Amino acid sequence: MLQNFFSYILQGVSITIAVTLVALPAGLALGLGLALVNTYGGPWLKRLSAAYSLLMRGVPPVVLLFILYFILSGNVVNLTPFWAGSVSLGIISSAYQMEILRGALLSISGGQMTAARAIGMSRWQAIRNIILPQALRIAIPPWSNEASIVLKDSSLVYALGVPEILRRAQQLSATTQQPMLAFGAAALIYFVLVFLVNRGLDTLAEKTKLPTQAA
Amino acid sequence: MKRLYFWFALVLVMSLLLAACGGAAGGSQLDVIKKAGVIKVGTSADYPPFEYIDESGNKAGFDIELMEEIAKRLGVKVEWVDMPFDSLIAGVQEGKIDISISAFNYTEERDQVVDFSDTYYDGEDAFAVADGFAGSIQAPEDVAAYKVGVQNGTTQDGWLTGLVDEGLLAEANLFRYDRADQAALDLKNGRIDVMMADSVPMKALAAQLGGLKIVYEGVVSSGPMNIVIPEGATELGQAINEVIAQLEAEGFIEALALKHFGQ
Repeated sequence: MLQNFFSYILQGVSITIAVTLVALPAGLALGLGLALVNTYGGPWLKRLSAAYSLLMRGVPPVVLLFILYFILSGNVVNLTPFWAGSVSLGIISSAYQMEILRGALLSISGGQMTAARAIGMSRWQAIRNIILPQALRIAIPPWSNEASIVLKDSSLVYALGVPEILRRAQQLSATTQQPMLAFGAAALIYFVLVFLVNRGLDTLAEKTKLPTQAA
Repeated sequence: MKRLYFWFALVLVMSLLLAACGGAAGGSQLDVIKKAGVIKVGTSADYPPFEYIDESGNKAGFDIELMEEIAKRLGVKVEWVDMPFDSLIAGVQEGKIDISISAFNYTEERDQVVDFSDTYYDGEDAFAVADGFAGSIQAPEDVAAYKVGVQNGTTQDGWLTGLVDEGLLAEANLFRYDRADQAALDLKNGRIDVMMADSVPMKALAAQLGGLKIVYEGVVSSGPMNIVIPEGATELGQAINEVIAQLEAEGFIEALALKHFGQ
């Protein structure tokens, strides 16, 4: 019985991982663009990206999920529950990742930009070759927080009927009346996933560390 | 910058086209389903013995077996979509699922946004308390004096909310849960005094958890159970009703109830 329990919940892992693999990179791409625009763009772009960040950090993920799936999807574009869930998590995460990357960009001293411009680099060249390589490294530790949050938030797609880890645990809890066992198994699986992600990112941070960065 | 506008316009046009395609799918809903050979049925598989996940991880229960039989007679296969109970009506409304079977009772509020099939089973409500309960519940309204737990969005929730609106039950004493089993656990743990649910799953929960007893049974908010179909899908509704009548006449439903509810 215990084994059945575990294997049934374990089948949800692939969905949890798939949702995370869509939401996290999508959020990174969007968040990076927004962070650059917010740091180096003109006043209007700055205001627009700041407003986006404020709005998306203020909306609970599950609300955006319902808007995207039940209201927009079907009328505008047809999204499956999986994509509606992954995209809305990606959008929310992009706002948080934008703030993480913005902080990292701002932590690179302004003198470096001035120096780069003085030796004849364009603004974009300076950002790409001087600022970004440093900022991205600095952003890894706070970004690994965001990665584990997205991993755990991926459970929200259950609201649309995608049978990931948490929903499977709920079903087992309802069938067997052993919530301790069902949710304990789910917690253990989440813990292992988050642990692996954080360890991986720690290693990445260590490997790519700059000489100027503290140990 | 011009290029950006171009892409933006392209995406806009594409999405409008897609939307137009979606709307143009002709024929009645029944034809579309029969053509596809698959009916997407929503359920919330956390309400034994009506719908739940069995030991081997498959959907099981009274509603599940009934629906499989109805689909078989319509000549289509069931594609089960598991959703939390309170997402199901929205799912049918927005066409995410074709129909839903999940121990639904008819209510006026629900009828405004979706349609209902004929009745396939008559439900009753039950009130359960923990073994050491010192109070007394002679009539349904007596629960107003206690802390009451209920599953969110159910007809029982509607009835208890009515008590709150009439000022009989204090809002702070009504506890709404995502799932019935959560309420039953809180009842056992003493966080609530009484729980209200459909009588069949209430008895199943009481038997499984132990330490709980049923103190009242009867039709309060519950009653006829129906399949939820989209608003205006008359042909689909008629086809389902015909099968339900057949199954009723053949004694299939009665046998199924005996198998799952022991009554």
